Amino acid sequence: GRALAVPTDRGGLTSAFPLAGGSPGKMEEGKACSPDGVLAHLEMLEARAHEAAVKQEEVEQQEQKLARLKARVQELRVQRDELQAKVDLQEKGQLGKEGVVSNPVQPSARDVLEWKIKSIKATLQIFYLTGISGKLTKRGVCFCISTAYEGTYLDSYYLELLTKPEVRIHRHSVPIFIPLEQMAKNYLQTDIRSFLSVLSDHLNAYVGRRYQADQLQEHFSEQIEGTLQRNSLCNLLVFNYNVSKKSKSFPFNVRLLYGDLCCSLPTEVIVSCTPGSPTSLAETAAAHSDLFRRVALHKAFLSFSSAEEN
Amino acid sequence: MDNSICQGYEDEIQSLEEEIKLLAEKYEDRQQESTFYSDEEILMSIKSFQRESQGGSKGCDSPSDLKAQLESLETDLSFLMKFTGIQFTSHSKKTLEKTRNRAVQKHRLSGNCHSLSFQLEFRLLEMQNKENVSAVVTDLSIIMESGESSDVSKFVSR
Repeated sequence: GRALAVPTDRGGLTSAFPLAGGSPGKMEEGKACSPDGVLAHLEMLEARAHEAAVKQEEVEQQEQKLARLKARVQELRVQRDELQAKVDLQEKGQLGKEGVVSNPVQPSARDVLEWKIKSIKATLQIFYLTGISGKLTKRGVCFCISTAYEGTYLDSYYLELLTKPEVRIHRHSVPIFIPLEQMAKNYLQTDIRSFLSVLSDHLNAYVGRRYQADQLQEHFSEQIEGTLQRNSLCNLLVFNYNVSKKSKSFPFNVRLLYGDLCCSLPTEVIVSCTPGSPTSLAETAAAHSDLFRRVALHKAFLSFSSAEEN
Repeated sequence: MDNSICQGYEDEIQSLEEEIKLLAEKYEDRQQESTFYSDEEILMSIKSFQRESQGGSKGCDSPSDLKAQLESLETDLSFLMKFTGIQFTSHSKKTLEKTRNRAVQKHRLSGNCHSLSFQLEFRLLEMQNKENVSAVVTDLSIIMESGESSDVSKFVSR
């Protein structure tokens, strides 16, 4: 077909459309005159303009984001400073410094009630610390038995009781190896307090035994040879251990049986030496056997290590 | 370059938000722990609160909600005291330390346990780790009027 008429300078190369960025034409004279060349050129210009627009938008967005974040930081700093001033004023008031009123605003009825609600909730928290707490439900009570070993609180167990037509257990989170059914049979109908008390003893003892075994594995793992075998109730432990960290040649084997499920100390301890051990170790084994009967497991191990260091 | 400035701001925002949260909690805790309202004041407040909001409730909890909540809590508390035989006559606590993961409170309690009156003071340390909150009680001191019974004194010292 006919070539598109494009005005050109006599002496040089020019394009019909000014190039973005003003760079001098890179086109060949021949192409400038053909329809394909112009279209390709147009496309290139469009692409460049598009790229530039996208970049411009990115830059603007970034700037806006930065401005937003900066404003947020200022806002939060002001909020923080105001709160800090409020707390400082409160502190002065409580120390009874002259001229500073601790609570200038008259409390509203709502404030008083909310205070009372928080206060009762705090006292209910204290019951949790005593070991038995609970909450009345529509059909009965939900008790919470909390366990602890020497001041450290461990797991909590829940027991939901229904009271009509007779007292019975609806739901609970007591592990299956605790003889709950037996306890319920013995006490639940006649004396709920005794039932909970016995259950609490079992749970606390179980948790205490488990805690000792865990502490042993956590802090004295280098002295234990092989794995520490225990059952779910943690009333039977069997393991081998080295008397000292240094001599690992004649480990002892120990079997701890906790016959009383309400107790966290064993009723039966057997410490045996490996065959071929020097006779002096037999005395040590007997001493350890006695110690395990009287002292918590992890504390017994602590006393071996410190005895050794002395 | 811009990204690191952005990150810097974002980090500061997070730390400020945390600081604000802790400061607000500190203020609330101290306010709660240093105030005391008698039972009469509570009763008066219940009555005036109901009168106030006769013409429409403002805020989150309506007066009947708050009153119901208060009653339910008081019922639970009185049930527990009756059931366990432990009657707390006073309880005060003071938050000694509170950071993101750790809180220490000093509690002072007095009450009766089956007709034996006692006073307790202890520190409660609560720590938050990945999975749960752990609680440890330390510095426990017990005062009991146990003049006659030496068994009780032995128990107390244990």
